[in-house]
Amino acid sequence: MPGDDSSLELLRAEDERINPAIILADRLVRRDAERLLTVDEVAEAEKVLGIGTQEIEAIEFHRKAFLKTPASAINYVPIGF
Amino acid sequence: MTGVAVAGQNRRHTSYFGDRLIRSLEYLRFKARSHNAAFACETVSRVVSEQTKYHLYMDMFPMEWKRSTTSLYKAGHFKAYSERTNEFFQLVNDQCFPLLEYWHDEPDLELDRFAIPPMNFDLCCEEVDFSGLRVSYLAGLMFYFVEDDEIWTFFSEKYGIERKTLPAIKASPHARVWQEKQNAETKPYSNLIRLVDHSTGNPWLDVTHCQYPEFFEWSKETVDWLTEKYRAANQSFRSLEDLDERIEEDAQKFMFELVSFWNTGKINP
Repeated sequence: MPGDDSSLELLRAEDERINPAIILADRLVRRDAERLLTVDEVAEAEKVLGIGTQEIEAIEFHRKAFLKTPASAINYVPIGF
Repeated sequence: MTGVAVAGQNRRHTSYFGDRLIRSLEYLRFKARSHNAAFACETVSRVVSEQTKYHLYMDMFPMEWKRSTTSLYKAGHFKAYSERTNEFFQLVNDQCFPLLEYWHDEPDLELDRFAIPPMNFDLCCEEVDFSGLRVSYLAGLMFYFVEDDEIWTFFSEKYGIERKTLPAIKASPHARVWQEKQNAETKPYSNLIRLVDHSTGNPWLDVTHCQYPEFFEWSKETVDWLTEKYRAANQSFRSLEDLDERIEEDAQKFMFELVSFWNTGKINP
């Protein structure tokens, strides 16, 4: 098996969750536009937007790093091969 | 059809078929790409931005908001915004300041930040239009076109004023010219020089076509401030009428005082 600090292991160790902007966008698009957002709701949306944007940037950063990682041989045959 | 029906005498608006259809199509468009986080962020930004404008609309024009039958879903002239938001832009344009003129005329334009058109004469690239500018404004321009024969010919032919009958004009004005505190005699001259110099502190008068425009964001404070400044800018131009009258009465005296004020910060040095 690969070592604990391999890219794949690090990736596996990450929490799996949906970007909160996707959940919020769905909620906002479904709601009635005539019911205006309150100040708190706008503040919450802006907070979620910040987190969502940060997540996109982080994933993009990791994706680029992952693509740059040189290929290395593994000492076992993955299932299916 | 706007897609909004007016229900009952209290004019409460109820979404009608057209609006519900547009809303459903919007939702399907969103759903087709909703797995994309970047698109979701865009959607959240757009909804929040539009809602902010609805709040402003309600706050600034409550009667018009109540009466409005325009759609909250269907795109208006500016395609990035609903008909209702477009109506808000039009109200700002009609009742506050010119928003939809000059460079804001493209339907694809995003108006989340907006620029204002310059109202003042551009010193850097406009040709002096002797028939289109007020004579008092031309008198102020004299300091910036001091070596331009045309401006002296104008004053010579119209008012019989020769350059040699006035004090020699210094290259830059006296520091007192820019002082906020002026007396009743010097204030009109100070205001005139500030206006021509684009140093009034009023964005409508100080911005030019040649500089990168300042962009404003939508908030009640900004709209109120720009409205107030727009009125003040118009008042500045109206006050030139008084100066024009003074020139008609005694052009030599006016020009002498203006040059003295430029040179020394006083009318009678």
